[in-house]
Amino acid sequence: MTDLVLIVLVATVTFASRVVFLARRRRVPDGLMGRFLEVFPLALFVALATSGLAAPEGSLAVSPALGGAVGGVVGAVATRRSLIGTILIGAAAYWLTRYLAG
Amino acid sequence: MKGRTRRSRDENSTTAVTGAHIPLKVCAGSNCRVFYHLGMRTTPSFRHGLRDGLPVFLAVAVFGVAFGVLAIQAGLAPWLAIISSVVIVSGAAQFALVGLIAAGPGPVLVATTGLALRHLPMSAKLADLIGDRSLPTRVGLAWVLTDETFGLTLRASQTGVPDLVTYKAAADVMLYSAWVSGTALGAFVGRAIEPAALGIDVLFALLFLGLAAPLIRHRRDWLVAGLAVAAALLATVVLPDAWQITGAATTAALIGTAVGD
Repeated sequence: MTDLVLIVLVATVTFASRVVFLARRRRVPDGLMGRFLEVFPLALFVALATSGLAAPEGSLAVSPALGGAVGGVVGAVATRRSLIGTILIGAAAYWLTRYLAG
Repeated sequence: MKGRTRRSRDENSTTAVTGAHIPLKVCAGSNCRVFYHLGMRTTPSFRHGLRDGLPVFLAVAVFGVAFGVLAIQAGLAPWLAIISSVVIVSGAAQFALVGLIAAGPGPVLVATTGLALRHLPMSAKLADLIGDRSLPTRVGLAWVLTDETFGLTLRASQTGVPDLVTYKAAADVMLYSAWVSGTALGAFVGRAIEPAALGIDVLFALLFLGLAAPLIRHRRDWLVAGLAVAAALLATVVLPDAWQITGAATTAALIGTAVGD
């Protein structure tokens, strides 16, 4: 299998997963499915953040990224959950921790 | 006879980006002709999407450079690295692709399927947010349905942005252009750049933290967030890389759903 065919297959799998519900005209019903969809984005973003900050190399480790995590949480609280504030204060804390850790 | 030029535009058009056929009427005396061109009108929602997409643009561009460099190191031709960014538009899937390409198509497809499963609830939620739209619009939005632009759109829905489709289209433009151009840069001239030294992966994690923060409103949300942290930490230990995020998020969301308010 050539690399190009593999790329097309990966693109097909990825796009199919993205379009499957968008291609339907029906709205998502209430009930369990609706509640699941209500909380899934939060769970997804927290999982992504946790994975990136607690295991930046793929396995759990104490690293300057944890300083970034603390800074990010402080930034979110201090800036009333502003996206830019969270990123900037978190990044500043990360680079400061990295500098202090040598 | 002195010629004169007069323009008329359809002010009712709500299309925000290419695709709007805006008539341009040009008259010379009594002889008028109407030309049509693809307009580039912008609406407040579109500009809002561009503005909110700026931090995503910067982070994704650097991440794209990292991908371009790694793709070349993994043996992909530069043009294939760029094609992959054009057609896949998923950093996670593409990093899995170049990381596993030596192992063959089986592991690559299993890994990307695991990564892609998280798009299912995102797709359903976005469909719910945008309501009844034409099929081409919905398919277009699905093309760049990434964690970042989905998060921005969800956030926009809570802050009262009036046209979420236009908003997401703008955010998609920012992300897509950054991802493809970053990949091209990395594939051709990025060998001297070391993205890991800049801590780009940490910036992405902070971006997701920033997207999660406004979603915590009720007691149940705190529970779901706590569960997601615990599940992500556990998944790092017990699940293969490609399934960690999907597994952790789904588990936390299912428990949160079962617990209710």
